[in-house]
Amino acid sequence: MTERNTATRLFLLLLVLLSGAVAAQPQPLPDAGDFPRQPIRIIVYTSPGGLIDFTARRFADVARRHAPDQPFVVINRPGGGGIVAFEEVLQQPADGYHMLAVTRSNISKLVATGRDELIDRIDWHSYIMENPHVVITNAARGAQDWDDVYRLALGQRGRQLWLGADIGGVKHVSGVKIARQAGVQMRWIPYSSGGEAIAALLGNLGTVYLGNPRDALLSEDLRVVAVAAPARLASFPDAPTFAELGVPDLDNEHIWRGFAFRQGTPEPVRAWYAELVRRVSEDPDWIAGWAGEGVALEYRDSARFTRMVARDREEFSFYLREMGLLREPGSRESLLAGIGDTPALYFLQVILVALNVVLGLFLLRSSFRHKFGELMILSVVTSLAILFYVMAGALPPPSPVDTVGAKGVPRLWITLLLPLALYQSWLILRRKSERISGKKPLLLFGFLGFMTSYILLIPIIGYLLASAIYMPGILWYLKYRRPLVVGGLTAGWLAFSWFVFQKTLYVDLPTGALFAGLLR
Amino acid sequence: MLELLLEGLADVLAFKPMLAIIAGIMLGILVGAMPGLSPSMGVALLVPFTYGMSPMLALVLLVSIYIGASYGGSITAITINTPGTPSAIVTAIDGYVLTKKGQAATALGVSIVVSAVAGVLGTLVLIFFSVPLAAIAVGFHPAEYFAMALFGLATIASLAGNNWMKAFLAAILGLLLNTIGTDPISGADRFTFSITRLSDGFVLIPALIGLFALSEVFTAIEKRDFKVTALDRLGDSWPRLCDYWQLKWVTLRSSLVGTIIGIFPGAGATIASFISYDFARRLSRKPGEFGQGSIEGVAAAEGANSGSVGGAMVPLLTLGIPGSATTAVLIGAMMIHKLTPGPQLFLSNPEIIYGIFGAMLVGNAVLLGVGLAGSRLWVKVTVIPKKVLFTLITMMAVVGSFAVRNSMFDVLCCLGFGMLGWILKRYDYPLAPVILGMVLGSIAETNFRRAIMMDGGTVFFSRPLSAVMLALAVLSFLVPLLTAIRRRRAAPASAASA
Repeated sequence: MTERNTATRLFLLLLVLLSGAVAAQPQPLPDAGDFPRQPIRIIVYTSPGGLIDFTARRFADVARRHAPDQPFVVINRPGGGGIVAFEEVLQQPADGYHMLAVTRSNISKLVATGRDELIDRIDWHSYIMENPHVVITNAARGAQDWDDVYRLALGQRGRQLWLGADIGGVKHVSGVKIARQAGVQMRWIPYSSGGEAIAALLGNLGTVYLGNPRDALLSEDLRVVAVAAPARLASFPDAPTFAELGVPDLDNEHIWRGFAFRQGTPEPVRAWYAELVRRVSEDPDWIAGWAGEGVALEYRDSARFTRMVARDREEFSFYLREMGLLREPGSRESLLAGIGDTPALYFLQVILVALNVVLGLFLLRSSFRHKFGELMILSVVTSLAILFYVMAGALPPPSPVDTVGAKGVPRLWITLLLPLALYQSWLILRRKSERISGKKPLLLFGFLGFMTSYILLIPIIGYLLASAIYMPGILWYLKYRRPLVVGGLTAGWLAFSWFVFQKTLYVDLPTGALFAGLLR
Repeated sequence: MLELLLEGLADVLAFKPMLAIIAGIMLGILVGAMPGLSPSMGVALLVPFTYGMSPMLALVLLVSIYIGASYGGSITAITINTPGTPSAIVTAIDGYVLTKKGQAATALGVSIVVSAVAGVLGTLVLIFFSVPLAAIAVGFHPAEYFAMALFGLATIASLAGNNWMKAFLAAILGLLLNTIGTDPISGADRFTFSITRLSDGFVLIPALIGLFALSEVFTAIEKRDFKVTALDRLGDSWPRLCDYWQLKWVTLRSSLVGTIIGIFPGAGATIASFISYDFARRLSRKPGEFGQGSIEGVAAAEGANSGSVGGAMVPLLTLGIPGSATTAVLIGAMMIHKLTPGPQLFLSNPEIIYGIFGAMLVGNAVLLGVGLAGSRLWVKVTVIPKKVLFTLITMMAVVGSFAVRNSMFDVLCCLGFGMLGWILKRYDYPLAPVILGMVLGSIAETNFRRAIMMDGGTVFFSRPLSAVMLALAVLSFLVPLLTAIRRRRAAPASAASA
């Protein structure tokens, strides 16, 4: 009996151990046909090193454990506050291999630049986290708490400096709301990165830095003096919320992060990702990795995420307009979009091109034909300067704070350039004519023609085929006639670029619209 | 401190860290030498491979890549006039001229030895003076950043040679091209013609490849110059110990300039190289050789470039603030390994900090060994038939420009800059001022406007450091200019009297 009981217990123990082992194995993700067959690219809209880049890399690391043997590659596509990354994802097929790491900043930037139509073309797939904005001071040399900030602001009368990210960004909007609600006047000083702004705060160049809670971990001198959240943060228990400080309606100033795809991604692929993101969100390592950084982790599905994005879009439209950074509704163009495509500008461009052509023809037929090149350089540069001078007129005017404005510095360079160009032209005209070789660089023009055709062919027939044609072609044109060497070089180059760029660095070499069309 | 440093050195002299250093340096050199790949991209690409490593080993590997990549840009700059990184532009000015004279080995030898020495000096400054230097760096007002940018722009006078007017015009063209893109303060789109890819202006790497590499190819094809340069015998042109010894002051000065400028967040190795080059020319006994193949010029550029690595690590390690794009990635990597960079890291994980110091010292020694061995190989690039070399350069320009942002627009820009460079060169306009304007334009503008927003227009003169730097910038611009004008006026007079 005892032996049987022991045997039963051993059997049960074995069963428990086995079931534990099975449970510890990553469960397969939902079936999505043959997806995924290739590496998944997570496109990040900032340079390496930003918080969203860090989030994407940490996500990729944890996701690999839940999707074994599946490579996740983080690719940085900075530019235009995220627009370059958005456009890159939108140019790819909606097959789910290009995942866009997004933040609330993208919404403010898209609204501010008048590119909010991109919001509708994106599938806001999964929200993963948010953190509140916090007010950070340099406690070693400046304000010790929010009361100090408030008191100093009264004394500084509109000259208190708040350091942060770019104008019209999510933190700028929050800063304006906080200052308004608290009844303080501040001057927003934009820095190109959080790191530079924090360095300036540590150097006591401003009173406040508005950022993420984890920024305060960088130095012991930094202190979180107010939190724009409904409750204190567990990782910063001494930092009061605005409600506690008696400043109302500031319990939801935050930045969220999540993932998105191009609209039209197949439903099974979306379900596969939904399950993956949910599992990563519940992964103990993922949760532990964010501990102590003031981040609220929570997976929200596409429907909830999309509703949040719509709300944010409305909110940013309202505040940016109120801050004078957007024009009235109905006008497609935002102040931030420049005059780019107005008919007057086209007319000016045509006039300038025509003037240069006429001048070129005149010079060629005159006694100055030996000075044609030198004079045309100056003419083209001067025309460009005039064009920029006129275009600068459409830029936002200087404000009481930014007294130089967006047009000030370009116009300064133009003002320096024009007299110098005129003086240089005068020197050239005054100089005795030197007869230069009349030989036309025909070989070079042919080479340039070859190279231009090659570059234009790449998007049509793909990088590899275009290169396979160009390389032997250009060597033949340059009269390098050693077929074996040429063949070996071409094959070697194609193998090198395929292996190094496509396979190792995940640079998607163009496959060509022609073949993409045929394959479809 | 010395005890901790020795422990750090002992830690990295073990098998695995040494393997990581050697691999990191070699990979870094390749990344730096490949136009289109920057040191920050190289480090970021390797971060996922470090997940399974200990934090110490991971950082040793990543820092080694940073060191290797900072040097690697000079190889292609010297051999084929294609700076792999923006900071290698200044190396190309004299390095490529030396190559054309058949003295590629001289330039490569000087560049690797000075890089390694400057790397060690920069690391020593980092180890012994990082805390006080970081305190100075964070207190740098935008007015002082603006003055530093102007100081950098004043180096046009050094780059100009006799063509100061054309150099000035070229620099203003660079400054004007730099205003294309999103306005750094108001966020307005400036002169982008509604092209999204222009929203951040012209990307520097395609512009560099076009202006330097493609323009050189186009010029040679125009002149039908397909003759392979007769290379001096390696034994003759390889620098001797006494040659390096003669460069001791240039090396020391440029290392310090690089380290100090590298400390300031956002300033970087490129501005350091230009300023160091300017200093070297002014203090040289042979200023006329600069731009004509001066080994002092190569040493000044490379010393500052490598010294800036140590400088950029100062704010990273002491304050947790990135001083360059690459250190921003290193911060991310540290956080992935659950390390919080900043002063507390000295207390919580001193073995990591001193391990990094040790890795930087050993890494520079390894760089010297790998670089010297590699240079004997790189020098062979110059004996490749020109027709093949030109074709390969154009292929590299296309794929390198594309790789920066996966954008064919950037490839077209590269071609455009190539044609611009060819035309400018054809009419004796120097190209380095164009890039100088493109690099320094946004630093100058952003900090000029930021300074006025913070403290009004008088701040440039009310802050002593800013006022002194501005005065020095004006002087360093005007003195060579006035000297050149005086010389030009004196020349006809003396000719007439003769």
